[in-house]
Amino acid sequence: MLKYILKRILFMFIALFFVTTLTFFLMRSIPGDPLASLARALPEQTRLNFYAKYGLDRPLFEQYLIYLKRLLTLDLGESVVYSGRSVSQTIAQTSPVSGLVGGIALAIGLVIGVGLGIVAALFKNRLPDYLVTFLAIIGVTVPVFVLASLLQYFFSVQLGWLPTSGWGKPKHLVIPVIVLSFGTIATYARYIKSSMLDVLNQDYILTARAKGLSEGQVIRRHVMRNSILPAITILGGRIVGIFTGSFVIESMFSIPGIGFYYISSINSNDYSMTMGTTIFYAALFVVIQLIVDIAYVLVDPRIRLSVGEKGGRA
Amino acid sequence: MKRKFTWLTATAVAATMILSALPAYAEEALAEDQTYNTFLTADPTTLDISLRADAYSSGIMINTMEGLIRTGEENGEYVVYPGLAESWEPNEDGTVWTFHLRESVWEDGEPVTADQFVYSLQRSAAPETGSPSSFFLEPLANFTAVNTGEMDISELGVEAPDESTLVITLANPTPSFLMMLDATVYYPQRQDKVEEYGDQFGSEAQYYIANGPFRVSEWVHNSKIVLEKNENYWDAENVTLDTVNIAIMPEETTYYNAYQNNEIDYVGVGEQEWLDKFSQDPDSVYVNTEYATMNFIFYNTKDDIFQNANIRKAFTLALDREDINDMCFGGLRVPAEGWVPQGMSSGTTDYRAAAGNLIANMNAELEANGQTPQDLLLAGMEELGLGDDPASLDLTFSLAGTGEWYRTLGEYLQQVYAEALGVDLKLSFSEWGIFYDNILSGNYQMGFMSWGAYYNDPYDMLSLFVSSYDAVSTGWANEEFDALLTAAAKDMDDDARLQEYIDAENILITQDCAICPVAVSQGHSFYKNYVKGYGSLNFNNMGYKTMYIAEH
Repeated sequence: MLKYILKRILFMFIALFFVTTLTFFLMRSIPGDPLASLARALPEQTRLNFYAKYGLDRPLFEQYLIYLKRLLTLDLGESVVYSGRSVSQTIAQTSPVSGLVGGIALAIGLVIGVGLGIVAALFKNRLPDYLVTFLAIIGVTVPVFVLASLLQYFFSVQLGWLPTSGWGKPKHLVIPVIVLSFGTIATYARYIKSSMLDVLNQDYILTARAKGLSEGQVIRRHVMRNSILPAITILGGRIVGIFTGSFVIESMFSIPGIGFYYISSINSNDYSMTMGTTIFYAALFVVIQLIVDIAYVLVDPRIRLSVGEKGGRA
Repeated sequence: MKRKFTWLTATAVAATMILSALPAYAEEALAEDQTYNTFLTADPTTLDISLRADAYSSGIMINTMEGLIRTGEENGEYVVYPGLAESWEPNEDGTVWTFHLRESVWEDGEPVTADQFVYSLQRSAAPETGSPSSFFLEPLANFTAVNTGEMDISELGVEAPDESTLVITLANPTPSFLMMLDATVYYPQRQDKVEEYGDQFGSEAQYYIANGPFRVSEWVHNSKIVLEKNENYWDAENVTLDTVNIAIMPEETTYYNAYQNNEIDYVGVGEQEWLDKFSQDPDSVYVNTEYATMNFIFYNTKDDIFQNANIRKAFTLALDREDINDMCFGGLRVPAEGWVPQGMSSGTTDYRAAAGNLIANMNAELEANGQTPQDLLLAGMEELGLGDDPASLDLTFSLAGTGEWYRTLGEYLQQVYAEALGVDLKLSFSEWGIFYDNILSGNYQMGFMSWGAYYNDPYDMLSLFVSSYDAVSTGWANEEFDALLTAAAKDMDDDARLQEYIDAENILITQDCAICPVAVSQGHSFYKNYVKGYGSLNFNNMGYKTMYIAEH
């Protein structure tokens, strides 16, 4: 187990190196420059001085080496567009905000989604199943910004119960959390339903029933535990997702999260910010992936880790 | 309390008085809570005077800083008020300006000195600062040499003979200098704070220091900015608002909802349907502002086809500017009359009123000759030996976006040019970065862009086409035009300067048709009717200083 984990950690660093390199050169191949976001033609000398300040006047490969060297000391540099904002500090300030909104939404979505999935599976082809399926389809198909605008208009303009946007008070969380949890509910309801139906048809369930366990015991001890596995697989991605925030939700509700920087930094050629947020995302992703794999072993006794192949999951 | 009303506020007050039939004095009564709630559509990049360049930070700067002067308005006309400069005088030829500073302090009680102005200008001009706004200092003596690092910053044309006297020396007489002085780059800076905060200066509320009507008390990036009245401001007795809450709302839906929900007291509108909706709201007051922003089509005059002035003229006159305004700009802009947008003035003269409607004149002349734009096109094609079939021309129009709006605009132009000229226009959509790279490298035929003036003088718009600058990358160069602009830049005689601008614009538009002005942007704003004292002119820099909340 320990050897496996060490090997995985080594791979993590290799993956991060590739992500860094690839992002660096891809980002630079995009036309335009940070000054272009001003949408103005600046005098040549003004541009030259600006490039020199951020070292953008050096040969590209040299800039890359400088970046790598700084990265080793965990220095992600300063935003090229938001002068004076350190990239690592920005990530440290904004990702918890996104994490809070996304975390609450995920927790709520998970509980409701799993619950609805179970109900749908147990009442297959009956009214509750149809309702859940309907809800799930809506949840997956309606774009986030449509749902967000609808709820915003309804709760703030029509009813006047909640502020349209803002940050700092619990009431500011309500609409964004509802909107964000909707997708999770939909996804989990479908996942749990199909995986439960799958498990219910397994031979060992038949065995469990045959040996005289009550239906409740069968569900709790055998069905639930087995059908929760796929849920863990997608949970990893979801957890990474909450720390990367949602550009749409954050813009719509004036939430000072990290999602804004992911998108805007690419559009405005804010090189250091794009690099920083991408490396943060990638690092988070590989770490969570490792944790998920370890969690698998704990949840599913059938899975054994072996060095050389990627565990026994299939 | 003394208060100067703009004519707009005065009319608004009159209108509500009739409607509500309240006694007159009630309109003057102030609300107990002097809080104004407004919004910005994006987070300011930085509040560092030397490093800012975006429109959003300027909104914060003009309210939290005080420069030498402050541009305001009275009765719909611009007025220059003394700021920290109690008085000033240029020397005889207009190259040396002496400003006498009043006694004033920063928010922390430290005095504002002439040295701080010198430090600020030198810091912005120093090449290692990398200031994107440094070119505003171009009129100063030795600016270019200092900005390229050839000369030490101490050689820059600014000095402080004593604590309360600031002397700015210009390279040439610059009649519009006073107008340029209101730019944020001319604000003073505190050397001790800039050095103490280092790179972080201006990036957070706690790394900023104000000397203006308000101070920044809170800044949550991408969420909100809170301004509080600065009790140490020299003119604090004339500031009524206590708090200004500025929400960062990038999404239209959000600010429209927030305005309807009374969370913000002001909203800017970009669509006809919302303009109609809020116009019907009895509690809202509509304000129209002529932005000095030109939306235009530009030609690559180095291109095989667009090198010809007749062809450019054909494309310029083939457009119905009323129609394109309705079809593509939601009827919210105004048809262009020349290159200098409506609402700009030269000295005290309204420029467009003096220069006339060049587009209309050109159309009239064409009609008087019994010609159509297509005749011009054919004439141009003949001159170039391109045959007589407009449909055979290989033409591509570049647009700076891939969204719905750009598609509509592109298809509209395609159709209009096909009908009026018989040409088969191809469209190229790309994101701004790609678009702009192509323009800079001359890899285009014709495109669409907009340009906003920085300060209120036709020079700011016309100088874009001086051949050594060529800011729009049209490749157009005209010696006579260059000479007129060089002369106008130094001409201290208002009438002569105006004539030079008019002559230059005529060369640019009527004679050479180097550029095709289409429409001038307009601001459509609504204020809740209890908000008073705001301005309506584009270059008004009074900000929240004159605003107040009436009892309601």
